[in-house]
Amino acid sequence: MADLAALRSSVLAPRSGQDQALDAALERLAPGRLPDRPDTPDLHVTSVRRLPAQAAQCAPFPAGLDPRLLGALEARGVTRPYTHQAEAIAHALGGRHVVVTTPTASGKTLCYNAPVLNSILRDRSSRALYLFPTKALAQDQLAELQATCETIAAKAGEEIGVFTYDGDTPQDARRTIRGRAHVVLSNPDMVHAGILPHHPRWAKLFENLRYVIIDELHAYRGVFGSHLCNVLRRLGRICRHYGSSPVFVCSSATIANPRELAERLTEQSFEVVEESGAPRGEKCFVFVNPPVVNRQLGIRRSYLSETRRIASEFLKRGLQTIVFAQSRLSTEILTTYLKDDFAGIPGGPEPIRGYRGGYLPHRRREIEKGLRDGSVRGVVATNALELGIDIGALDVSVMAGYPGTIAATWQRAGRAGRRSGRSAAVMVASSAPLDQFVVRNPSYFFDASPEHALIDPDNLHILVDHVKCAAFELPFTTTEVFGKHDVQEILGALDEQGLVHLIDTQWAWTNESYPADAVSLRSVSSDNFVVVDTTDEARVIGETDFTSGPATLHPKAIYIVEGKPYQVERLDFEGRKAFVREIDCDYYTDAITYTKVTVLDTFANGSDTELRRSVLDTPECDGARASAAGVGPRGSNHGEVRVVSRVVGFKKIKFYTNENVGSGELDLPEQQMHTTSYWLTIPASVMGQLPLAPDDRRDGVVGLSFAMRQVAQLLLMCDRHDIGISIDSEPAPLSARIFIYDNYPGGIGFSEPLFRMHGELVTATRRLIAECECENGCPGCVGPIGSTGPLAKSAALRILDLLLADAAARCRVPGESRHGRAASRRRAPCWLLRRSPTRRASSIVTRKAA
Amino acid sequence: MGTARPRSTSPVSHAVSDVRTDRDLKRVLRGEWRSWSGASCFVVERRQEPSARHGRDPVGTIAARFAEGSAGAALIAGGRPARPPFLFLDLETTGLSGGAGTHAFLVGCGWFDVNGAFVTRQFLLTRYADERELLAAVTEEIATVGALVSFNGKSFDAPVLETRYSFHRLEWIGASLPHIDVLHPARRFWGMRESCSLTVLESEILGARRVDDVPGFEIPGRYFQFVRSGDARPLVDVLEHNRLDLLSLAGLTARLLELVRLGPGSARDAGEALALGAVYARAGLPARAREAYTTAIAASTRLPAVRIEALRALAPLLRRDRRYDQAAACWQLLVSVRGCPAHIVREATEALAIHHEHRVRDFAAAKAFALRSLDAGEHARWTEAVRHRLARIQKKMGKSEVSGLKFDGESPQTPNLRLET
Repeated sequence: MADLAALRSSVLAPRSGQDQALDAALERLAPGRLPDRPDTPDLHVTSVRRLPAQAAQCAPFPAGLDPRLLGALEARGVTRPYTHQAEAIAHALGGRHVVVTTPTASGKTLCYNAPVLNSILRDRSSRALYLFPTKALAQDQLAELQATCETIAAKAGEEIGVFTYDGDTPQDARRTIRGRAHVVLSNPDMVHAGILPHHPRWAKLFENLRYVIIDELHAYRGVFGSHLCNVLRRLGRICRHYGSSPVFVCSSATIANPRELAERLTEQSFEVVEESGAPRGEKCFVFVNPPVVNRQLGIRRSYLSETRRIASEFLKRGLQTIVFAQSRLSTEILTTYLKDDFAGIPGGPEPIRGYRGGYLPHRRREIEKGLRDGSVRGVVATNALELGIDIGALDVSVMAGYPGTIAATWQRAGRAGRRSGRSAAVMVASSAPLDQFVVRNPSYFFDASPEHALIDPDNLHILVDHVKCAAFELPFTTTEVFGKHDVQEILGALDEQGLVHLIDTQWAWTNESYPADAVSLRSVSSDNFVVVDTTDEARVIGETDFTSGPATLHPKAIYIVEGKPYQVERLDFEGRKAFVREIDCDYYTDAITYTKVTVLDTFANGSDTELRRSVLDTPECDGARASAAGVGPRGSNHGEVRVVSRVVGFKKIKFYTNENVGSGELDLPEQQMHTTSYWLTIPASVMGQLPLAPDDRRDGVVGLSFAMRQVAQLLLMCDRHDIGISIDSEPAPLSARIFIYDNYPGGIGFSEPLFRMHGELVTATRRLIAECECENGCPGCVGPIGSTGPLAKSAALRILDLLLADAAARCRVPGESRHGRAASRRRAPCWLLRRSPTRRASSIVTRKAA
Repeated sequence: MGTARPRSTSPVSHAVSDVRTDRDLKRVLRGEWRSWSGASCFVVERRQEPSARHGRDPVGTIAARFAEGSAGAALIAGGRPARPPFLFLDLETTGLSGGAGTHAFLVGCGWFDVNGAFVTRQFLLTRYADERELLAAVTEEIATVGALVSFNGKSFDAPVLETRYSFHRLEWIGASLPHIDVLHPARRFWGMRESCSLTVLESEILGARRVDDVPGFEIPGRYFQFVRSGDARPLVDVLEHNRLDLLSLAGLTARLLELVRLGPGSARDAGEALALGAVYARAGLPARAREAYTTAIAASTRLPAVRIEALRALAPLLRRDRRYDQAAACWQLLVSVRGCPAHIVREATEALAIHHEHRVRDFAAAKAFALRSLDAGEHARWTEAVRHRLARIQKKMGKSEVSGLKFDGESPQTPNLRLET
């Protein structure tokens, strides 16, 4: 509501100076008349699209809103809502669950604040729960809600209690908040570990819960979303216990399946509001492909340098710019570059800042404020600024590298041009295959629908954890359902572990633990490393999650905070501390991680009866068609694996030139996880047919794995970090294996669909490599020639051809089927009983037999 | 504490599906089913005769000590009115973490009867489904008491019960009763020990020893064993443990009340006297507080921590009573304690500087103390304040011809001072 007022007033404000500066910068980038030009995949700028301005569309407030609320809104400058707001409010008032998917700054907060405040004004006992993916977002919203509530208090004398309740809430304030809050702003983690297990203390809230608000719905995909779904299942049980059934109001950025995601998360049916009535300024969207500097090697100019050049064009014309980088490291590198280019007045505020996860909260708040008040002119950020943190209206968004998904790209582009007036978004492609595909096929981005947000709430690993939490909160009954699996069977297994016990018709919690403490919604462990600067007085300057600790904080690593380099002097692995000292250097470090995958259990392989059947169902069946139908060559597997990774060394890489200026060896403890994986076995027969030296064969496998990873990422529509890759280290000419695993303990449901898409994966990988213009491999197909061998590309292609020929041959000779393992074993949860996997497996079997 | 306890009705038969289990329960635990206006619960009641010993003293002696001291209960209850009848309360739970899945499976209650015997009544949750009835029975049990007495009950037992009551949408009436959590005064009186747990205190203060006691961490497991098997034998020792906890709680409370009643003369060590001082000071009894602190100071020549705390507490009491010279003497003693922490030295020297500047009007001494306090303080704001003081004293010294004349040997001798005087 606050930003709405700003939005409207700025429509009138003259911005022509700003617009001219923007035009001038774009003219430098893409000379000529700007609006719509045909896509030109071969040029430096491959696409320029103009997204037209849109005028505001308003509607009257739906009938039935309390006059005191209307009065307060009017006092805050909102007399007529936009059409989407009116529609969403009407649904919420009518008791229908609704999800609103409109762009950033379209005033979505009114969509839920209005019905919530209305319900409280109508009935003082009403309560509402808001969920935000981060604490910072809750703080952001708190300020706005409180302002509205103060207006109501001033005009109508009604006090409405609005409080955040999260890990930062002091213990002594918690009781007061439980008693006084009409609206509780929290996050899924706190609801999971701090509210639901203590529901009796929150009885007042749960008895009177009218609305549950889920903001940034799209953030809940993958692991986090799967967890949230289960948290909401638990919330639902408790609401039923206290006799309430709240209405869900969700808001989401643009994704392909907002309704589906909302319905899967909450297991309720939803209304969707998609048409934004908010005004929008004109926006130019430009795709840039850095020019090729060495055609033979397929090397393009560094996308980071290109990003720096483009961002500078905007920054030097006084346009406030956000630069999105793909990783923490590239964020720091770009921050260093831009700080060099735009040094502030000595002693004055820094005009260029970096922003990423791992910065301490006060530093982040300071940067956000600097962006809002304009003292920060440029910020280089990771996806940490992709979510709706209030940083005000920026002029330009430059993306260094394709963010990986269409939805994330729109979200980042949306950071520019929140006000009306002209804005620009520029995507600079890196040489990664996915980037190259998108930048050369702009219509894939502009005309296709964005990704589906996927969750797998019935991942047994996650589900069982939440069944424990739920059993702690309220005893399960023998007829109760929870998720898609048979919860009674799970409870039976938990009974064997002594966690629950069936008494008459109820499963009582018979354990002294507090199960929610052992479950983190975000990752495997909440463990982290802190970074301690010992240059002067020891002080903490940052933190890193446990998994990436060794790679970023190994001894001698250069750790960069906002462009200032520190060297790690000592890593206290046990104490989870890295001691660093300021250093003046012109290089950064890149860790070399060695990963080994061991198969623990094969759930299914490519000769399963299930797969055979689909081969026979495909009438015409040459290799390609069989593959397109999802039936691939032999060698696909799905199972449980152990991934052991160890940082074994590091490279020193010079800023700007990217020269490798040195290296070092490291001896660090290894990290382990059990997860699920897809893997491709290249049989010894195929390897043996390659007329190549063992080293060259191996290069072929490495190159093939590089390309497969990119294709898998595209097929699964997942983030780069979601999957990991490893190849078997057995020496040639024996068979080789390429693993693509879920980069989360227990797996998060990527490897199974990948196993099913095996055929598509192999043919698409072949297409990617075959259609690449380079001669002997490049970063766009099998990897840069320096890191694979000169024959990698041809060897990889030969391997694929042999695999596909074999598949085609098999299609013509049906009946070759061997009995694979039963498909149901895919779900066999040998980790369910973590203490003794073997006992568990047998117990499930006996249970089924009985 | 002779009081009439609410009498429950006669034993009733309870419809339990497993009659054998029910019989075993009664036989093994020697308890019975009782009902309170509809709510029935399995109860185990025991009586410790006045002649039975608990540690050094017979139960009857402890009862008398408790009865004589109970008028002073408000003093150890942090000032809240606490009136008889008193009920000692201790839970055994299925976990320590709290939350909806933590149950109080045993609610132990205890009191002294008119004859000086100690009576315990333990409410046992035999089936999860009966929790509501158990809670209702407990409500009736405590409805007539004047105050609850527990060990760490404010932080643990009461919140756990409150959660259980809320779970069943029942009211926890304990919230409106005065609650004496003995852990807090126990820490004050006996906190110098390595541990302030009930078992350590009962052995050191009451001289009680336990034989074959169940360790606390085993208790939830034993209850789950009972839930799973219906075999009540693992619970026998748990109930005994709970009874001993209640008895020790009563013993410690009686000792605390005795100390408060008899004053510092009855203190066994400087720590107890110091704690009495704090109790009296909080209760608005400055004369008794001064007496207690003085006792503590006298007894703590070898206990610098106690000595520092007692001096530091006594000085402002004396100043408030306008005994400025005695207060100054305290501060003087304080700065002479070896190993006195810097911030306390700073505080004392500042007080002495004020004293000499405004009361004694001995500016040279005031200056000396101010300078010394400067050595002890580090923070810029503090340093600034001292500089102000010094400047002011310097100005006064200029006006006064008698500077330094009143300076006596007790004040610190600093080279600066010599030069000036």
